[in-house]
Parts: sequence; C-alpha cells; structure tokens
Amino acid sequence: MTGTIQVVICRCCVEKPALIDLARLEAVAAETELVSSVVISEAVCDGKGATDVAKDAQAKDGDRAVVVACDKKDFDPALLRAYRRAGIDELMVEFLNMREGVVLPHARDNERAQAKAETMLRAALKRAMMLKPLEMETEEMRTRNVVIVGAGVAGRAAAETAARAGMHTILIEKGDRSFKAPGVLMTRAKVVGGKGYPGNYVLTIKAGEKVEELECAAVVVATGGGWTTLKGPLAKACKEAIPLYRLHEQVTAGAVPKGPIVIADTPDPSGKSLRVMDFAWEEALETAISLKRTHPQTDVTMVFQEMRAFGLSELAYKEAADMGIRFVRYDKSGAPKIDSKDPTKLTVKDLAQGELLTLSFGTLAFASLPANPDNKDIADALRIPMTPEGAMRRGSIQRWPVSTPRPGIYVCGSALFPKTAEVAKAEGEAAGAMAARFAISGTISFGGVVAEVTQEKCSACLTCVRTCPFEAPFIGKASKVEIRKQLCQGCGMCAGACPSKAIDLLHFTDDQVREQSRVLLGGDF
Amino acid sequence: MSDRRPRVVGFCCERHASDSATLAARSGKEWDASVRTVTVPCSGRVDGLMLLRAFEDGADAVFVVGCLEKNCYYDTGSIEGRKRVENVKSMLADLGIEKERIEMFNAASTNPWAFPQAANKMAEVARRLGPLESGGESK
Repeated sequence: MTGTIQVVICRCCVEKPALIDLARLEAVAAETELVSSVVISEAVCDGKGATDVAKDAQAKDGDRAVVVACDKKDFDPALLRAYRRAGIDELMVEFLNMREGVVLPHARDNERAQAKAETMLRAALKRAMMLKPLEMETEEMRTRNVVIVGAGVAGRAAAETAARAGMHTILIEKGDRSFKAPGVLMTRAKVVGGKGYPGNYVLTIKAGEKVEELECAAVVVATGGGWTTLKGPLAKACKEAIPLYRLHEQVTAGAVPKGPIVIADTPDPSGKSLRVMDFAWEEALETAISLKRTHPQTDVTMVFQEMRAFGLSELAYKEAADMGIRFVRYDKSGAPKIDSKDPTKLTVKDLAQGELLTLSFGTLAFASLPANPDNKDIADALRIPMTPEGAMRRGSIQRWPVSTPRPGIYVCGSALFPKTAEVAKAEGEAAGAMAARFAISGTISFGGVVAEVTQEKCSACLTCVRTCPFEAPFIGKASKVEIRKQLCQGCGMCAGACPSKAIDLLHFTDDQVREQSRVLLGGDF
Repeated sequence: MSDRRPRVVGFCCERHASDSATLAARSGKEWDASVRTVTVPCSGRVDGLMLLRAFEDGADAVFVVGCLEKNCYYDTGSIEGRKRVENVKSMLADLGIEKERIEMFNAASTNPWAFPQAANKMAEVARRLGPLESGGESK
C-alpha cells in the first residue's frame, strides 16, 4: 500500500517571522519522500480552511496527513469531518502541536526554535509514514433492556421515562413494596455482580434465594439515600428530627414547620460515622433565609462547627444574619447534646460567648446525611467509582450530571447526595432518558486504538490480566491472552507491562513511539 | 561531543500531562528547548525497553509525566508508569549510569507550572551530568 502524505501548516498557529521560518519548514516537508503536497493554510480550524485542505488531499489522492498547528484537542471537528469525506481516517491525521510545543514556550529562544520545529516536523512525518489504518467494528446489542436499580422516586421516574421511549425496563427493588410500574418489577432483589461491557452488560441478581443473570444494555442506579440508617447521638436522642431537604420541601410548599427551628450541621458532631458535607452550609443558609422570609416570626438557629459560605454565599450569610437568624458555633469541647428527659431541648456551648446555651426547638433538621450503605455493593458489582462520602461519583456537573465514568451506566436521585423528591424525580427522568438514548441505538462501536496480542510470544503469565484496570485481557481457548476489544480503552498499560513484548498498542506501537523519539533525539538544537 | 547541547526526552501522557504542558505554554511559561516531548496515551504505556532505547538513541536524560496518581484518567496508569521508571532506575544503577537521569513526574491538567518544572529540572540534570557516552552502538 502506498501512502502519500499531505502536510498542512497553519499560518495562524505557527507563523512568527522572527522565530520560525515557514519556508524552511515547507522545504523540510517537501524533501521528504511520500509527501504529495504542502499546504499553507491561513487557519485550518476555519471552516473554509478545513474544506480547502480536504479538497487538496482528495485531489492528490493522499491517505494520511500531518497538520502542523495547535493542540489536537482544540481542533474543530469540522476538519476531521472534512478529512473523512476526503477519504482520510481520523487516526491517519497526525497533529503536531507547534504552537504550544515551540512557538509559545520557546518564544525568546530564536536560535533554537527553528531547528526544534524542523526536527519535530521530521518526527511527525516519520510517525505519519508509520501509521496504519485502523478499523472500527460494530456489534449488535443482545437486548435493549434498561435495568433500574432501586424503585424509589428517582427509580420510578427513570423507569417511566425509559418505558415511554420504548425500552423494556426492569426495576430491581430491595424491599417488597409493590406498585404499578412499567415493564418488570423484581422485589426483594439486589445486584450482586456484573460483567460485560457498555451495551451488553450482564448483571447477577439475587432475588430472594434465587440467583439469576440478567442481560441489559444500560443500567440506571437509583439506590436512594441513607436517611433510615442515620447514626449519631443527636439522631438517637431526637426521633422527630428531619433531613434538611425535607424542611426545604415544607418551606417551599408553604407548610408551617413546628417552630422554633434548629438546623444542625450533622447528627454526629464527633464526626465518627459521618463527616459534614460540603454542600451543607449553603443549603442550610438558603433554607433558613426562605423560611425567615415566609415566616418572619419563627425563631431559626443554626448550630454549626464552622460556616463555610463559599463565594457569593457569603452574601447569603450576611443576609441571614441581618434577618435575625442566630448562628451558634461550637467545637468538640462543647458539642450539642439533647436533654435525655426532654427531647425538645438542645444544649450547646457557644464559642462566641463561651457559655452553655439551651435551645428549645419544635423542629430539628440535619444538614449532613449519610449515603446509602448498599451503594458499596452496587459500585463494586458495576465497577463504578464512589465519592469519599460513600455516594456514587458522577461525571462533570455541567455536562454529565447523571452519568458515571462508565458508558451506559447512569445514576440519579439521592444515590448522588441527599435531595428532595422533586429534584430526585427530575434526575430520574434525565437518567431514564439517557439510558434509553444509549440503548436505542442498538449497536456498539469499538476498536481503533486497542491493544493487540501476538499469541506466539505470549506465555500466559497473567501480568496484563492483573495490570488492566478495565479487565480487557483474558486467557482465551488457546491458553494465550486475548483482548476483549469492547472493554479496551487504549491506554496501553498491558503493552508496557508485558514482559515478553507480546502485546502492542495499535496507533502507539513500540516502533512508532521509538522512531518518533529517535528522530526527535537525532535533531541538533 | 562534550560541548553539545543536552538532549532530554519526555514521555507525556495524552491526558493530564499533555494538557498541563499546553496550559503552561498558554500561561506564558517557558522551558528548556532541549526537551523533546513524545506523546503516549498513558504513562503506563512506556516500558523499560522504550526508556532504555531513548538513552541508546542519544538522550542524556529521560522523564515520564503522567496524571496525578489518585486522579489518573486510566485509573492506575500513572502508578504503572512510576513502576516502570523505578525499574529502569535500578537497571541504570547496574549499568553504572547515574540514576538521576530518569525520573517520573505527575501533573494535573490545571497545573501550569508542573510541566515546565519537570522539563527544566531534567534539562538541568542533563547539563550537570554531561552527555551520556553510549552513542547507540547496539540496536
């Protein structure tokens, strides 16, 4: 197969007359064999620039390209789309980050920058020559089931949304409450194990005494919070205490909570069973202010070890103080206690005055709540990460608020952190819709940058099996390692760990990496 | 030979390390031009042979930059990378080469000074210890 390389130099990123001479870069590219054309573009990320570049590639019948510009991650996908239309695969385009590699960091090193840029271009050309086209594979999902773990408010909302999108839903509920739900409802069931890969998960479900395997395309985790497992001396002494979100709900609904009201940061001031949560302060301030606005006569006291009002919440803190909300700060020497004879009296040593205060209250609310203890089993079974508080970890709050790091597994409701039914329902709907959208495509795409085994060299030492965090390598029928491409994330840890060099990572093979470093080291600058 | 400029090669993971270098460049940080960077998908991708070959190809110092160990994109990648580097360190000691010539660093993508610090430190090491006279006789 003959490959010709198109070299694109972006004037916008690379041009800096005193530092880099574009003409010499062009000459370096032109004198390399296999280079069919050198294009100097005004700006490759500009839509027109991208189209022109791709047109040129098509005219010269090139099958690979080197783009000398800025960071690969900054590129407009338009360029890659244009290349794909011109018949050049995304992975056959080698990006050389000249702007952040030379132009910016060596801006004052005039004599060396040019030589470095030329060497980097040579290395990129060498690498481009060694690139091999990689194929993506697709696989049909075996089922389009969506499994929802937990049939609380969030879980039910997720099931309804996914069912509306036409998915077959299976609700797994630990207790035995029965209600009308779309799809199948399994009560007294829990997830004890899971394997497979996004799109074809196989969960092991223990229903009563029976253990069965359940295939599914996507999973929604809605295990709920851990209010019922609340521990700590304050919670034990006062049975009528409520979580802060419940108080918030009452206030928003216009119900009059029984006053006076005390909001404590945690039911366990010693911090043994529960640590004060990051969001406790802001939520408490917000609730207290809206309470005071609607019921100015109600006494509101906040009992806190420290008030961390971040950023603009500082203003809320001030507003709360102006409204007459009382703040009582305590430390371990005088932690709040509830009178054993009269569970409506709370004694605490106020640090500001150094005296013991006795507060009578009608309602006691806790701002920090424990996570569901079942989370750990489910996180282990589905291999999703957890927060230090024992809740499920989710993706970026702005972009992936109900996603986990594993594709096809979504999380919603109080499994993330304690919240009101209303919010949990909204999150459940979002997670259900995401799961349905994932399952509805029906196909899984994988391959590309994945590890590859040369089985003759493999001695089945299991090093890669132990190294891979994604469980992609396994010992196949021939007693040699095989890679499950669907699980491979393309990190190459197995390739680095293999003592017999039987594994190589496509697109970053030993030869490709070595040649690149050899050419770079060969340059004199 | 002795008056030639130092040659340093850094294997950067495609995730936090490369992002950190990019951020550093954009924040106006500068680093030694002797440092060449090779992008690998993960710092766990490097292996002993790859690092030793870099010395063979004329590097005076080699370093690997990965994600923070508790925040690695590939979970345990940067821990793996560190293992490889430690392994090569002991090999270098056996070969009679200063083990300071190879080092592992961790960088967060939001940390603009981690990469320049690592690069300058290794360039300094290469300058202090002088060129490595191995010259790639064996292949």
